[in-house]
Amino acid sequence: MEALTPNTIPRSGQDTAKAPKRKRKGGFWSTVLQQKYLYLMSLPFVIWVFVFSYLPLWGWTMAFQNYKPARSFSEQKWVGFKYFHELFQDDRFYLVLRNTLAMSFMGLILGFVVPIFFAILLNELRGMFFKRFVQTVSYLPHFVSWVVVAGIITKMLSIDGGAVNQILMALHLTDEPIQFMAKGNWFWYIVTGSDVWKETGWNTIIYLAAITGIDPELYEASRVDGASRWRQMWHITLPGIRSTISVLLIMSIGHLISIGFEKQFLLGNNLVTDYSEVLDLYALNYGLNMGRFSYGTAIGIFNSVVSIILLFTANGIFKKVTKESIM
Amino acid sequence: MPKKAFKVTAISLIIASMLAVAGCGGGKEDTAAKDTGDTTSPITFSFFGADASPNWNKMQDEVGKEITAKTGVTINAEYAVSGGGQDKISLMAASGDYPDLIFAKGDVNKLVDAGAMLDLTDLIDKYAPNLKKVYGDYMDRLKYSNDDQAIYVLPTNAAVNQQYFDAGGGFEIQNAVLKELGYPEVKTVKDFENVLKAYKEKHPTIDGQPTIPLTLDADDWRIMITVTNPAFLATGAPDDGEYFINPQTYEAQLHYKRPEEKEYFRWLNHMYNEGLLDKETFVQKSDQYKSKISSGRVLGLIDQEWGYSDAENALKSAGKDERTYAHLPVTLSEEYKDHSFQDTGFTSGWGIGITNNCKDPVRAIKFMDWLASDEGQVLINWGIEGKHYNVEDGKRVIPQEIQDKKINDASNFTKTSGIGLYTIFSAHYGDGVKDPSGNYYTTNFPDQIVASYTPAEKETLKAYGATTWKDLFPSEKDFPVKPWGAAYNISVEEGSDYTVTYQKTQDIIRKRIPEAILTTPDKFDAVYDNMIKELNAAGAEKMEQQYTELVKDRVELWGGTTEAK
Repeated sequence: MEALTPNTIPRSGQDTAKAPKRKRKGGFWSTVLQQKYLYLMSLPFVIWVFVFSYLPLWGWTMAFQNYKPARSFSEQKWVGFKYFHELFQDDRFYLVLRNTLAMSFMGLILGFVVPIFFAILLNELRGMFFKRFVQTVSYLPHFVSWVVVAGIITKMLSIDGGAVNQILMALHLTDEPIQFMAKGNWFWYIVTGSDVWKETGWNTIIYLAAITGIDPELYEASRVDGASRWRQMWHITLPGIRSTISVLLIMSIGHLISIGFEKQFLLGNNLVTDYSEVLDLYALNYGLNMGRFSYGTAIGIFNSVVSIILLFTANGIFKKVTKESIM
Repeated sequence: MPKKAFKVTAISLIIASMLAVAGCGGGKEDTAAKDTGDTTSPITFSFFGADASPNWNKMQDEVGKEITAKTGVTINAEYAVSGGGQDKISLMAASGDYPDLIFAKGDVNKLVDAGAMLDLTDLIDKYAPNLKKVYGDYMDRLKYSNDDQAIYVLPTNAAVNQQYFDAGGGFEIQNAVLKELGYPEVKTVKDFENVLKAYKEKHPTIDGQPTIPLTLDADDWRIMITVTNPAFLATGAPDDGEYFINPQTYEAQLHYKRPEEKEYFRWLNHMYNEGLLDKETFVQKSDQYKSKISSGRVLGLIDQEWGYSDAENALKSAGKDERTYAHLPVTLSEEYKDHSFQDTGFTSGWGIGITNNCKDPVRAIKFMDWLASDEGQVLINWGIEGKHYNVEDGKRVIPQEIQDKKINDASNFTKTSGIGLYTIFSAHYGDGVKDPSGNYYTTNFPDQIVASYTPAEKETLKAYGATTWKDLFPSEKDFPVKPWGAAYNISVEEGSDYTVTYQKTQDIIRKRIPEAILTTPDKFDAVYDNMIKELNAAGAEKMEQQYTELVKDRVELWGGTTEAK
């Protein structure tokens, strides 16, 4: 863009003296004319975003109506904030909110620390073949569906010949096999643990890519100055991928509340519902499945508002602390 | 980008997209019923079924091809993968994107509320003599409700005038266990417990793996079938879903509130603390449950045959015939009678309907009518003459090799023959009804049922002096007919307070019942009483009152036909 603007100066230069305001307007249109191909090329994407991300917001009106399907907009009955009232008065809502936030915070912390750590360790490996091999093996679980992963986890933790219990028994750490899946307060850890197992390798890729972008001269210089491997990691590698880390962190904070429900749905059972039910599952059970579309929409709006607040807060804090921002 | 320019772009975009949206919303199809007189030209109907149908073969099976040849109709079907298709149907109701025909089970009210279902009353009257004949006196039971007396679905989940010749429920014990213990009398839960205990002590492992005396399947809705429903069946009450309905006053209450059921759950608690109930009962998923059964080391079950038949088939194919299960009418104590067979009359309820997206409702109803004809019913139940059955001296007989395939290779047989896949598409008579030629409409009649038992089953039955499992159960003649049919298929208005309270009580029950069973015996009372308190706090009492009204309404709606049988 910058490169193109100088061309527009001579043309608009004529009426500079008369009307500075008009000059700007004319400047814009001539810019458009100059860059018409760029504008044309971006237009489909603008439309796409508008149609798929902004137009559906119209559906938010449902939350304020007693919505019945197959009736026109004017036939719906308006009820104001009734469904939000109902939502904030339901004890279960606070319970599922707690579960959602607890599991996503745990997931966020481990989901960041472990892949970064892993990426740095991989980067320090000398043998190219071994490095590639480890990397491939570690990201393969990403492609396994949660249904299968849940099956593997339940089987591993089963008391009926599950590998984990057999190891614990063989080491004499316990006498009785432990029912991992029946303990509510362990559920969060099981979910977080399986998430780390499944996604670590995949999340590592982006950090590895960022590390390759670091200038090798920096390492050489530090070696000349006598820096150890640990010093190099701490003073060169980590600062080198700092901006990648902060961008990804801010974006994940925005998604904190919408963690989906597959893991919890597939790993949970009746004994642990107090710990396993998350917001999305609650919206499905008490909203869509009962045909209460308005209530479901109210939950959706709450979700989006919280996400936006989280995103802006996180971005604001980062801006202050690190002078970096994604917006 | 300067502000004004942005505005202009935005406005033009809005206009553009509004035009696009308006374009999409254009004219609705005119679905007014017109009889084109055409009955066999090829036509395809899309269909959604809320029950999984894993053997569906896109009508490329033998019966399916025959149906297409006779009626010109091809069904383009999609079935719910699991869980009753609730989400899918909700989405259909919200989006207006329905198939031509739909089997929506209990969720049909969502579609009716959305105005998606066609009223079939006139169509049946004009074009469907066979449907009228099959439903006969029960036509009143097809009506939707007192306020809306339209017919939206043809009840096809239930068969008309069904007589039960076989029992698939009760409590189950492996035939091998009964044989080894010399076929003891098993009438009460105590007897049941003693049998499992005695065998487990003799054989702590089976095929090298630890013996499991009793396991249940509490995965999602299956908890109702194997954990909570047996509580009323073992204490002399019939199946009315989550309620017990007082036969005199029609008052409904959550069946958990009956004191005798508390004693049933106390027994389960005792079983757990004795180590007889599988510790993984409330953690395992249905597939784990079935894989345990198919390993042959689960001695006893409390389930319905359809819940574990996959596993039982696996046992048969593996040659472990003796590890299949006997059905016994076990009750809490001698004073109760198992009400499994209490007659509901024709239960009506769930079935197939035509949506207003259907282009040719007349062809659709004619298709269903043909399936309900004598010719159609024989085809969907028996298959093709000369291929799946022969007529000898005026009697339909299934050749031995076909019968063997049916028993031992059931799913493949269904896939290639298509027998049993088409009953949900139209009205059909139940077992025990004879057609004009003097043969039964279905292949389930006493001789055929006995023929389908495995040798181990026959041996057990002989030892107890019975020919079918049903002989062991109290007969329907011992009980009066229920005037409200089966309460579990009464539809309720969507999104009302009732549905919210119901969901809340379900959440409490599914959490607290396992807790009560898994606690120590001294704490059982506290946990159970607390559950009842929680239920009332969630609004159960008001919900019961509402349900009482619904039951009374139904008795009134069906009034004309309740005396028919």
